[in-house]
Amino acid sequence: MKALHSRRKVLQAAAAGVALAGAPWVSKFARAQGAPDLGAYQKAKINWRLAEGQTVNVAVIPASYFENLIALTPEFEALTGVKVRYDKVPPGQIRQKCVLDLSSKTGNISTHAADPMYLPLYAANKWTEPLEPYLNDPKLTDQAWFRYDDIFEAWRKADMVENRTYGIPYDGEMTVQTYRKDLFDAKGLKPAQTLDDVVANAKALHDPNNRMWGFCLRGMPGAGQNMYIYPSILGAYGGKWFDRDGKIRVNSPEAVAALEWYVNTNNAYAPKAAQNWNWPDIADAFAQGTIACYIDGHTAATVIANPERSKVVGKIGFARWPKGPSGKRVTSIWNWAMPINSALPERTRQATWLYIQWAACEETQIRSSFKFKGPGKRYGVNRTSLWSNPEYTKTIADAGDKFLSTSIETLREDTDVDWRPRVAQWPAIGETMAKIIQAALVGQAKPKPALDDAQQQVERIMKGG
Amino acid sequence: MSPQQRLALVEKPERRFALTLVAPGVLVLAVTTTFPLVYLVWQSLQNINLAMPGMERFVGVDNYVRMWGDARFWAAFAFTLIYSGATVSLQLVIGLGMALVILQIPRAQWAFRMAAILPIVLAPVVAGLFWRSLMLTPDFGIVDFASRSLGLGSHNWLGDPTLARVSVIAIHTWQWTPFVFLYMLAALAALPADLYEAARIDRASAWKRFIHITLPLIRPAIVVVVILRITVALSAFAAIYAATGGGPGTVTEIINLYAYRVSFVELSLGYGAAAAVVLLVLTLLVAGLLFRIRR
Repeated sequence: MKALHSRRKVLQAAAAGVALAGAPWVSKFARAQGAPDLGAYQKAKINWRLAEGQTVNVAVIPASYFENLIALTPEFEALTGVKVRYDKVPPGQIRQKCVLDLSSKTGNISTHAADPMYLPLYAANKWTEPLEPYLNDPKLTDQAWFRYDDIFEAWRKADMVENRTYGIPYDGEMTVQTYRKDLFDAKGLKPAQTLDDVVANAKALHDPNNRMWGFCLRGMPGAGQNMYIYPSILGAYGGKWFDRDGKIRVNSPEAVAALEWYVNTNNAYAPKAAQNWNWPDIADAFAQGTIACYIDGHTAATVIANPERSKVVGKIGFARWPKGPSGKRVTSIWNWAMPINSALPERTRQATWLYIQWAACEETQIRSSFKFKGPGKRYGVNRTSLWSNPEYTKTIADAGDKFLSTSIETLREDTDVDWRPRVAQWPAIGETMAKIIQAALVGQAKPKPALDDAQQQVERIMKGG
Repeated sequence: MSPQQRLALVEKPERRFALTLVAPGVLVLAVTTTFPLVYLVWQSLQNINLAMPGMERFVGVDNYVRMWGDARFWAAFAFTLIYSGATVSLQLVIGLGMALVILQIPRAQWAFRMAAILPIVLAPVVAGLFWRSLMLTPDFGIVDFASRSLGLGSHNWLGDPTLARVSVIAIHTWQWTPFVFLYMLAALAALPADLYEAARIDRASAWKRFIHITLPLIRPAIVVVVILRITVALSAFAAIYAATGGGPGTVTEIINLYAYRVSFVELSLGYGAAAAVVLLVLTLLVAGLLFRIRR
């Protein structure tokens, strides 16, 4: 990237020089070679160069949707004169690493791919900035051009703490039912409408002796692993995280029923090893044709619909979350949010905001998805309008049957911003629940006593222990 | 003037010079180890929770009192003892056994020495990942393949609570037995041959020679290697973190891992520091006890 960057500078300098000398064809040539077309950005009525000379440090996870953004970054640097440095941190470590930087106020990380569930923690410590002053400052943001409201409402809300915005969504996902349409059709099965249907479908197709497992959910413990799936089941059972007095309650009868369903279904129909699986493991197994149906992030389509890695391309169907006894479908809400580190000096914060605005704006979303020149596809662009853009829908249509309609309906109908408890203590609560859920899954404890134990721990955590 | 007094006179300026030479080293040690240790103890007496800013205060021994009633801490404490005890005894028995056998084949010894170095130079986190993904994966792993070939069936080596404990103990033993082996090989090679000759003339059996000659002679080496191994086992972290993350549930969680989770995942820095202090004291106690035995 560095090499590219300096080459561009040379080219730009050369182009500028020659243009001055009155040889426009050379300048045209230079643009075709590498100088970016920034016209779409320059339509914004702001001065993109107001933080020229600053450096922005960005921590992201090594994922294709960020790789695409990194590849486009020289355009941002040319547009603003701000230098961007990336630090790729594995998803398992990025939260701790960023909390460490934020809490020590060293300002090493200007913005990062943030877990929205951590934003209440950031806000409580005033580690990151409320973003309204940036969004509403006409010098920093051209609202008519940026169209913040075009970003999915569920994601925007998930990035708010007490009605203030702390992160801007760059990319996101929802959880959906993914199934083998060929197997379902052969037996005349329909994608599950209810949790009971899930079990019935799984039973009909479960045949482990022939390496076919009926159903699978994540088993790996973690606030972002099994605690990314269980809350949806809890919601389907009508469970809530807070009782009437606003106190957190994790061992309600609905919670016990939800955990029992999770444990029983996974143990009956998932491969034994799934007790430690995260989504890539499930996606790999599904791509190898050994799983009939699973519920997880829709972005796993990058794996299961990739002809180089998957044996089930063209046999995949998608459907919304099944309903639970409460009649509700509850999907996950996930987006990678970008906050601004409060420990930075003002000019760097402005540069960081320009970077965030650039990453989240429509043009960059387009250039990093369907107009991207590399092979990596993005299934989680952040804007409502793009999801009905024919070029985008065409690129993602081959993921599988009803991929697009399922994703859109799920986002529109099945989100509940409080599907997980959004409190500053989330890291501890998520971790505690994750351990308890896995303990129940592997049979270390029964669901009811496990959740009673969790309740005690959570109460202690809320008291600040 | 007694000789001692004369010596002291000569020594005085020399001692000052020696102190000047040592001072930088002591200073660096103080800044990099003593200060963090003292700070850790201080932190363990505070309530510091990043999720609850504004509630930081001195709480005395509250964190330790809370630990007394914390079932998850005691589970980690118990497994730390099981893990250290099991891995160190296995390393010692297997390592000493291998050394005794390989001592008898002087020709190919270099090959065994070379092979023994390999696991030792692996970073523990690599060892953990290597076992997790190559050896123990159900259906694909080498251990699982061996188990199926022997008719013992496929097992969820890191997912089943009992097997997971056995597995993490096996990983640590696999990695560090070669160290004990090399150490014992060196100790055994230094034993005087004439003693054994005399014993043979007295018609002492191989077992008697081992019990009455070899063991007493290498006792100091055994004690040292046990101290070395047990301090490492007590403070193990990376291999378990990479292989099971303390799971399934919390069955393979050792104190070190628990302290890490409390501090850096749950962000309760005061309580995490207290857990780390307990581990420190435990390590010091065990090492101190063993040093006593050595005398």
